[in-house]
Amino acid sequence: MNPNLHRSGKRFLNLLARNSDLLMNAYLSGSVDEDNKDNKQVKDLLASHAIWRPAVDEDLQLGLALRKLLEEALSDEHNQQVDANIGSRLASLRTKAEHYREAVHEGDLASADAYLQDLSLVTYDLNQSLKQSVRVLWSRINNEFGYVASLKAKIRENELAQQQLNELLQSLELLNFETLSKIAGDLRELRRLLCSNLHQVVVDVSQELAVVQTKLISLLGRFRQLRGRSRLLKGFTLYCEQHPDFHPSDPSGQLQVPSLFKQAAPLLKSASVNLYNPEHEQQLLGIVAKIHVQRVNGTQIQEQEENFTSLEQAELYEIHDSGISADVERYLNEIIDSAQDLSALDFFEREQLKWRAEDWLYQVIGGYNALSDEGKQFFALEAIEEAHPEFSGNKYIRDLRLWLR
Amino acid sequence: MSDFILSETGNVLSQLLEGKFICRISNEQAFEFLQTPENRDKIDYQLRVLNRCLTSGCDGEIYYCSYQDLGGAEHKVLSEQFGDIASSLLPLVEWLVLVQESIGGDTPLSAGNHIRLNELQTAIEDTPAFREQLTKISQYRLFGSNSSQVDGQLKQVFKRLVEQGYLIRPNSEKQIYIACAKIDYLFEIIRFIDETEDLSLEQRASDSFGQENLL
Repeated sequence: MNPNLHRSGKRFLNLLARNSDLLMNAYLSGSVDEDNKDNKQVKDLLASHAIWRPAVDEDLQLGLALRKLLEEALSDEHNQQVDANIGSRLASLRTKAEHYREAVHEGDLASADAYLQDLSLVTYDLNQSLKQSVRVLWSRINNEFGYVASLKAKIRENELAQQQLNELLQSLELLNFETLSKIAGDLRELRRLLCSNLHQVVVDVSQELAVVQTKLISLLGRFRQLRGRSRLLKGFTLYCEQHPDFHPSDPSGQLQVPSLFKQAAPLLKSASVNLYNPEHEQQLLGIVAKIHVQRVNGTQIQEQEENFTSLEQAELYEIHDSGISADVERYLNEIIDSAQDLSALDFFEREQLKWRAEDWLYQVIGGYNALSDEGKQFFALEAIEEAHPEFSGNKYIRDLRLWLR
Repeated sequence: MSDFILSETGNVLSQLLEGKFICRISNEQAFEFLQTPENRDKIDYQLRVLNRCLTSGCDGEIYYCSYQDLGGAEHKVLSEQFGDIASSLLPLVEWLVLVQESIGGDTPLSAGNHIRLNELQTAIEDTPAFREQLTKISQYRLFGSNSSQVDGQLKQVFKRLVEQGYLIRPNSEKQIYIACAKIDYLFEIIRFIDETEDLSLEQRASDSFGQENLL
């Protein structure tokens, strides 16, 4: 191992670490901000190709290799691309294999070792890149191309991914077993590297890519379906705007009614409790007991509070009392005058009385009961009731109806 | 409590006879039950007694009960039913468009999507156009809201949609709704009408989109 190489490598990595802010800003914003940067550092970075200047009057950019490294390390899908260029790697593989074969033939074991190491690096690199491509494709499928917002962009990204996948599949065909074993020849080490290791990876990756391909196609179908639906909705509202009295023709009269419109009318209603089944009595009692507990918690305190206020305001009520009973008298007179039935609340609303509606109803009932027996014979009172929405058997008085007998 | 539990067959049968749509979201257990051909046959056999049969729609994503043979009475029911569907189409479509536009994005609601009522409410309250649209939608007879507040209107609309089986609300304490496959059924109906009436709705939409782009 060359000690100089090691030292300069470390120096380079330190340089990157010192300029991590600048480099990450460049990664995120696209170009290096040169204004407030140390010139020396920038020069060093330029010299080590971590950053580069595409043209004289353009901003400094992050080097491609560094950008790729960051994308991979940060699993940043936004920029990651599928590397489908296998052909050139295959060519370098072939060249290095030739070098190795030659060195082995000539008995130059030191060079052969070095070449073999190179070769394993290249194959490892190829493995990595293949697996990485599959990973990138999968992650795109898994979040349904979530890194672009609109449906159209998703469709485009999907089409791009399919294109890349096709290229990848085509270049994988170059890497078939025959080619690899031809390159390896009869050398044991090469066979191990190319035929068993690499070939296995290629087979795995191709199988996985086939699955990826079907997924991509079905996802594309789904995107197109969603786009179709979106247009359908838009089109329908537009059509209804232009044709406000649009009525689709009824397909149920046709001889062959489409199954979409053949849904049968509901037959079952939800079942209710059978109060007369003695077997259920115990369970029903249990349910009722539970309801009771809940009600005590909820309403008793409220009731107590109401009692207090009514005690405190007893005097006030007395003052109201004379007014409200006068109104009840007016109500009764109105019925006698018109000789027609009139609901208490109707009168209440028409006259815009200032009482609470509930108090008014109570007072009407009270007024009616306070009449002498002779008086009661003239009037008929009927309560208009409403069932409690939750507790069956309980009824509220919603309104009263009074008329002359 | 009773330890008597309705068998899955009974459960599925009663759901179907109540006129419900069974999908993976609305009733996963029943849907899984219907995935096996023997179970489907069993249900179908029992429904036949009542001149009904098991029907699947939306590429097998939804099951419901439909008539086996159509007589006069059945035709009358179907005709009434179609009247209901036709009159509720526009409100539902406008609601779908509102949800799609206010939540942002260009994908319409489809089965399995979640709607958080709070998010929707904030989005609608922030934009007067959405507020107006919601008021219009909530006053359709299908939804029947008399509220003038976004909150009340939204709750009424969502309550009705749950009743109609388009949405479910898995947790009654949370305002989170999930779209059922009946939404897909709705799209099939629109597509059917589009095709039979020759409305070319998609073409209409992309034409108008093109015009907007030109402007």
